[in-house]
Amino acid sequence: METRILQFISALRASGVRISLAESAEAFLAVDKIGIRDRETFRLSLRATLIKDARHIPIFEKLFPLFFGPGFQPPLNNILDDLTPEEARLLSEALRQLADHLRRQIQRLLEGKPLSPEELDALAKLVGLNHVNDLRYQPWMAQQMERALAFPEVRRALQELMRALAEIGMNRQRIEQIRARIEQNLQSLSRQLSRFAGERIIKNLSEHPHPESIDGLMNRPFQALSDAEKKILQREVHRLAIALRTRIALRQKRAKQGRLDAKATLRINLKHQSVPILIRHRDRTRKPKIVALCDISTSMRFCSELMLSFLFTLQGQIRKTHAFAFIDHLEYISNDFVGADGNAAVAHVLHRMPAGYYNTDLGHALQNFVDDYLDTLNGQTTLILVGDGRNNYNDPRLDLFSILARRAARTIWLNPEPPALWGAGDSDMHRYAPYCDLILKVGTLSELIAAVDTILDA
Amino acid sequence: MNPNIFQSVATLQRALSQQQYIASNEIVTIAYLAHSLGKPLLVEGPAGVGKTELAKALAGAMECELIRLQCYEGLDETKALYEWEYAKQLLYTQLLRDKLNETLSRAATLSQAADLLAKEEDIFFSTRFLLPRPLLRAILSEQPVVLLIDEIDRADAEFEAFLLEILSDFQVSIPELGTLRAKHHPFVVLTSNNTRELSEALKRRCLYLFIDYPSLEEELAVVHLKVPALDKKLARQAVEFVQHLRQLDLRKAPSISETLDWAQALVALNAHHLDQDTLEQTLSVLLKHESDLAKIKRHLYKPSTQRYPDEFDSFSGN
Repeated sequence: METRILQFISALRASGVRISLAESAEAFLAVDKIGIRDRETFRLSLRATLIKDARHIPIFEKLFPLFFGPGFQPPLNNILDDLTPEEARLLSEALRQLADHLRRQIQRLLEGKPLSPEELDALAKLVGLNHVNDLRYQPWMAQQMERALAFPEVRRALQELMRALAEIGMNRQRIEQIRARIEQNLQSLSRQLSRFAGERIIKNLSEHPHPESIDGLMNRPFQALSDAEKKILQREVHRLAIALRTRIALRQKRAKQGRLDAKATLRINLKHQSVPILIRHRDRTRKPKIVALCDISTSMRFCSELMLSFLFTLQGQIRKTHAFAFIDHLEYISNDFVGADGNAAVAHVLHRMPAGYYNTDLGHALQNFVDDYLDTLNGQTTLILVGDGRNNYNDPRLDLFSILARRAARTIWLNPEPPALWGAGDSDMHRYAPYCDLILKVGTLSELIAAVDTILDA
Repeated sequence: MNPNIFQSVATLQRALSQQQYIASNEIVTIAYLAHSLGKPLLVEGPAGVGKTELAKALAGAMECELIRLQCYEGLDETKALYEWEYAKQLLYTQLLRDKLNETLSRAATLSQAADLLAKEEDIFFSTRFLLPRPLLRAILSEQPVVLLIDEIDRADAEFEAFLLEILSDFQVSIPELGTLRAKHHPFVVLTSNNTRELSEALKRRCLYLFIDYPSLEEELAVVHLKVPALDKKLARQAVEFVQHLRQLDLRKAPSISETLDWAQALVALNAHHLDQDTLEQTLSVLLKHESDLAKIKRHLYKPSTQRYPDEFDSFSGN
């Protein structure tokens, strides 16, 4: 049992759940305390100790039955033992009519013999299970192995066998019983296969978690990333966010200057009879406020996902973040980000605002912003624009942009295009540029990280 | 303190239902586990699903005091842990001046006087002048207590770090007094609305319980229990409506507490069925955002164009 739990924990880790040593030790403590007799309680005690994030609960629920499924070892019963000698004779007579390989399979079902590890290994090789590292392929792989074991043919042959038994005069009720039990064994075997497929995939996952090193991807331009690589980077963005928060906390601590804190000064000087020898100042915790406008039009789609997941993480770290996305008009997307899983939230936004052809209109989006959301900007706000400034020759509405830039404390533009392309074709970047405090080229993830640092320094 | 309730999961469940708290198997099991492992319980979930209520019910069932610390941005240890009552200290020094003079007059030399004073020094930095805030109260309490740290996600990251010592060892260090250990381990419940991610270190020390919106039957049971005056059929209709609202894309989906408020409102209005008028009058109890209200009203007026025409027909009363 213990090794089983350990395997389960390593599978969870391989699927992206962070579990510390202390937590796994605690899972054992909890299991000790509460026992394993009741499966439901057992599941809850593992979940409460191992999973500390609601987003990881689905992963847990998916893996748990794989490891601790009902019927731990699939119970296969030996049917031959129960038969009277007469019945056994009839059965072997009926079996003789079947083709050789089917007879062997049915014999196995009758004896109730589970698949041996060697057989399973051979099957895995046959269907290419050893190269799969995505749990979504589990049912498919299990099905392939069933095919390799000729399950569909066996099912047909079983009907034939039963008919043959009836013809040579076995009791109908008895036949029905035997059929039901063979069916049961068949299902147990298919459960065994499905679990084996799941475990093998998890093993592959834990052995080859990342196909390519992160560092290489960090410096690759967004355009050159495949979908799978983007997924990896999204995970990386999330990891960075955690590091980021500690940095924010440190920065706030260092910003100790500002107004006199009378109460703290009194307190610290009690030992000097309240003669203010030591002076305490109120910590000036500078809490950044951010308003972000993100272009997700066709020309930006290649990096929309990463940019949106960047906004998502930003919102997770900085409470006062208002995120907007635009193509031809502006939409408020911060609500999509609340409490949701990063990938799902980003997918949802992209789905809600499908890209069209040549319909980017930043000018109109700015108009929307001024009409509805101008109050989100004030002297403490950093305004971030994410986009390439390609406006399809629409009116760039520089008048509105200058209003925004004046209201915000800082205006930062993140542009995936290199400066040489600004102003070329339909790009209005060079016209917006004078109003920005800072324009950063963000074409790779490492550039994005550098940009985040700059934003937080504000 | 009633120690019997932690005998088994079933006894805890019974005790909680006596507190008018309907707890699912999941909630009870994890709460039971938290108690038997002596670990804090971190409860997450959308606003208004009964996270705070769980702590109250646990305190009620255990028959011990509930000490509550409401977190907010800028909460620091002087407000959460302790503060020296310096006004009182000053007052005592003034009032005791004569007595001090008397004591010190016996001293022959300056150093003797200093020694004498040093002997009395402890008086001024004793628990007498310590103003305990919720955390210290929970630790110093003579009786076992339930400590509720509410909405921990509102507090700053520094405060979270500060909690770590208390949560893992149940002790606090006060420079002037030394380390104070808890006489009884308080049963700690932390709640979070998930507005930001908590630190790994904090999560590691807690058991995790996620309370989601309840199922139809569970919610109905809560409504029956808390608002018994509401007609059974109307209650079901109301809960079905709320459950449906949660499926929609709203800025703030109604939670159990809003369902209960709404149920109360329906009782107060003496409503017998959910018709258009009643809904319109009371919808603002359920939905707290203008845009949500407008959205739902649009749904109600034009049921035929919506994705769920059947359900809305039955609610719109035509």
